[in-house]
Amino acid sequence: MTASKLLGALFAATILTAPAFAQSYPERQITMVVPFSAGGPTDTVARLVAERMSEDLGQQIVIQNVGGAGGTLGASQVAKAEADGYTVLLHHIGMATSDTLYRNLPYETLDAFEYVGLVTEVPMVVTARQDFEPADFPAFIEYVKANADSLTLANAGIGAASHLCGMLLMQALEAPLVTVPYKGTGPAMTDLLGGQVDIMCDQTTNTTQQIKAGTIKAYAVTTPERLDLFPDLPTAAESGLEAMQFGIWHGIYTPKGTAPEINQRLSESLQKALADEDVAKAMADLGTAPSPAEDATPEALKTKLEEEIARWQPVIEAAGVYAD
Amino acid sequence: MDLLSNLALGFGVASSLANLAFCLIGVLLGTLIGVLPGIGATATIAMLLPITFQLEPVSSLIMLAGIYYGAQYGGSTTAILINMPGESSSAVTAIDGYQMARKGRAGTALATAALGSFFAGSVATFLVAIFAPPLTTIALKFGAAEYFSLMVMGLVMSVALAHGSVLKALAMVVLGLLLGMVGTDVYTGAPRFTMGMNQFADGLNFVAVAVGVFGIAEILRNLEDEHDRQVMTKNITRLFPNREEFRQMVGPVLRGTGIGSVLGILPGGGAILASFASYTIEKKVSKNPGEFGKGALAGVAGPESANNAGAQTSFIPLLTLGIPANPVMALMIGAMIIQGIVPGPNVVTEQPALFWGIIASMWIGNLMLVVLNLPLIGLWVKLLTVPYYVLFPIIMAMCSIGVYSVNSNPYDLFAVAFFGLLGYIMSKLRCEPAPLLLGFVLGPLLEENLRRAMILSRGDPTTFVTRPISATLLLMSLAILVLVFLPQIRKRRDEVFTESDA
Amino acid sequence: MSTKPKDGTDIAAGLLFMAIAAFFAWQGLGLEMGTSIRMGPGYFPMVLSAILFLLGAVILFKAFGRPDDEPIGRFAWRGILFILPAPIFFGLTVRGLGFVPALFFTTLIASQASVRMRPLPALILAIVVTIMSTLIFSYGLGLPFRRFGPWLPL
Repeated sequence: MTASKLLGALFAATILTAPAFAQSYPERQITMVVPFSAGGPTDTVARLVAERMSEDLGQQIVIQNVGGAGGTLGASQVAKAEADGYTVLLHHIGMATSDTLYRNLPYETLDAFEYVGLVTEVPMVVTARQDFEPADFPAFIEYVKANADSLTLANAGIGAASHLCGMLLMQALEAPLVTVPYKGTGPAMTDLLGGQVDIMCDQTTNTTQQIKAGTIKAYAVTTPERLDLFPDLPTAAESGLEAMQFGIWHGIYTPKGTAPEINQRLSESLQKALADEDVAKAMADLGTAPSPAEDATPEALKTKLEEEIARWQPVIEAAGVYAD
Repeated sequence: MDLLSNLALGFGVASSLANLAFCLIGVLLGTLIGVLPGIGATATIAMLLPITFQLEPVSSLIMLAGIYYGAQYGGSTTAILINMPGESSSAVTAIDGYQMARKGRAGTALATAALGSFFAGSVATFLVAIFAPPLTTIALKFGAAEYFSLMVMGLVMSVALAHGSVLKALAMVVLGLLLGMVGTDVYTGAPRFTMGMNQFADGLNFVAVAVGVFGIAEILRNLEDEHDRQVMTKNITRLFPNREEFRQMVGPVLRGTGIGSVLGILPGGGAILASFASYTIEKKVSKNPGEFGKGALAGVAGPESANNAGAQTSFIPLLTLGIPANPVMALMIGAMIIQGIVPGPNVVTEQPALFWGIIASMWIGNLMLVVLNLPLIGLWVKLLTVPYYVLFPIIMAMCSIGVYSVNSNPYDLFAVAFFGLLGYIMSKLRCEPAPLLLGFVLGPLLEENLRRAMILSRGDPTTFVTRPISATLLLMSLAILVLVFLPQIRKRRDEVFTESDA
Repeated sequence: MSTKPKDGTDIAAGLLFMAIAAFFAWQGLGLEMGTSIRMGPGYFPMVLSAILFLLGAVILFKAFGRPDDEPIGRFAWRGILFILPAPIFFGLTVRGLGFVPALFFTTLIASQASVRMRPLPALILAIVVTIMSTLIFSYGLGLPFRRFGPWLPL
């Protein structure tokens, strides 16, 4: 970095509030806050798109991992940041669920951010240990309903994708399974592999390799259509579980008050990154796909967030589990 | 033979000139960053991770492995030189390593750590190569009940970490366990002991606690009588161990390697116990256990070997299951995914060049580490001749950066100050920090697995004794307890007798 | 010294452990205990607090009737006064002031803990540490720190 850039940074840091500035945006490094620790699935998604977006924006996007409290620490840091477009947030479905899960959030979810766009929506797969008896999903439903109180359901902690999916599954089947929480996906998956627990419903990111290797059994996916990845797996909706339709969507946000031009510029850049073949391939390896261009827009993300907050509130309240 | 051709494939990949260079750069960078106080292996890897993204997948992972070994060794170096461990494993090294350094034997301690690690690393690499798949099957037999019993064994061993009062050491372990409870309860989401601060929802940061109770407390102790106390012995006699010291090293290194290799395989946190377990055993088999805590060579050689062997074999669950055993391994998985390799059970068969390349590079990384660091020991030891009043402001600056860089959480820095004060007061009261740290690490694992085991057994507590592995571990704990306490009781009786004689 | 020997250090240690145990127990009161079969979040901490309290009491009890072999000695007041605020200062200002000034003052504050450190060497040390760290961490490793933060009136 040169001295002039440094001066530019100083300049930008202090007097940048005027929307007129948006024309020359970006003039310096952008910080993308990922509210989870480095190396996790969300961090991976962030690094994938950040690299391509940097190329398009002509400025480096650096990832800052601000983990903790289910993503709310990172989100609240961005909520409080200057609305100059140099601090952005990449968060997943937790943005919507934490609104209900945390009863003392330091920010108003719908009031503290501007929107850039959706990044990807990772499908979920209902899986069970390798030697689980039922042969297919209809049989699975029967079996789980009949043996609810003797079966165990693993999840990776409160608010995790597997926790959300587990809640949906239990409510859809009206089967109160014995819930076994873990600290993170790693230990939960280990116990599923070892047959210590019976069922887990988690993102393809975490399950694809195990399913392909045959070390765990897959029953259904939660997408509206079957996945190219597993054409033989039915969707949950095919067996009448319409409520079990969801994915772990990721979106990019900016602090409230960020100029619309800036969000638009970031959104364009995001669309280009998502159209990149390498990004698509890397995402395919994870069992997901980039969001289509029409979803990588501020409007689409805003609608999604509002819908999802409304959707999860009753589910979480019915389960009666909170994270604070 | 299959293994030979696989290894040949691996070495073919890893020993290309470019990959050797990346490995060397990785080891060098890892050492240089890891040697900064308060910056442990996790922080080092997180900082250096982005550098590797531009490379080919194999090269990137080879470099990352180099960084990992370098960072680990760098962490041991600060533990020995300034009593500042950056990982739970080097906390054990700090106990005797730092005392050796104070007595002018820093060079010997560092060389012992390097050589012990190299030997352990080499052996463990071959274990990984030969036994990876069958060992995984055993690791999967470990459920919550087994882990609970394993952690109980760790707790029992922790008592041996103390070289003063056993009672106070026990109290420190329990205090550590309590501190480990801070944060959100995994089962109900209830926040515990967070004082209403969401910043502590994920618990106290290990580096903050370790830097506080070890490093900062030590700095404060050294500042007590600045005028009349020499902090470090200046006359450093030798840099390398002599023949006698080499002889002393052999046993601890062999035992440490064995223990570390076995514990590292368990994905649920076995590697954490490796260095603690080794220390306990060395103290137990030593002819003069009184030397421990005052600069025993075996107290460095054993745990360092165990630690490195464990670090190596903890690659097994990563490579064969695709499951990270610790935060460092989680970072490695992230790096792999970004490179388009999703680790899982099929990596071995689908990408043999990658799998065996990494295994070969593990060994090469260890070799480079020793080649690189033996000459550097002279330099590190020279650092001790820097006046202390110049050294400690630098230490404070580095550990502020290091602690902050992990999660960008200012509260972690507040925790550093708090635990510095607590650690200082505790050391004034002659309570040692190592048992506290062990308790802190084991606490969450102990509670989580206990509660999980009870849920899985539907509330039947006999699960711990009816499951064979768990029962064996508990029996072993009992045996250790008897071994540790019997001599204590006998000694106590002797003391009583001597007193009444007088 | 009074007629009966006592170990002052252990008395203090015992009392401190008991106080900490009481604190954790008090803080844990609001947590659900559950049963031994299905333990609540408060169960394990409460058991630990009780054990710690007992251990503290035993340490305290055994301290009487035994001489203190190594008295507590001097406290590093100056060290406490300057070392401990250093990381706190860094935490409070690194976002507002930015990495460079925050680190500079942190080093300067810490350096004051020693009576041997004169003002000019302290200043030089702080400048050197700041420049080196900025080069290594900010430029070299590209850590996402703002070098100069929004509080600066530049």
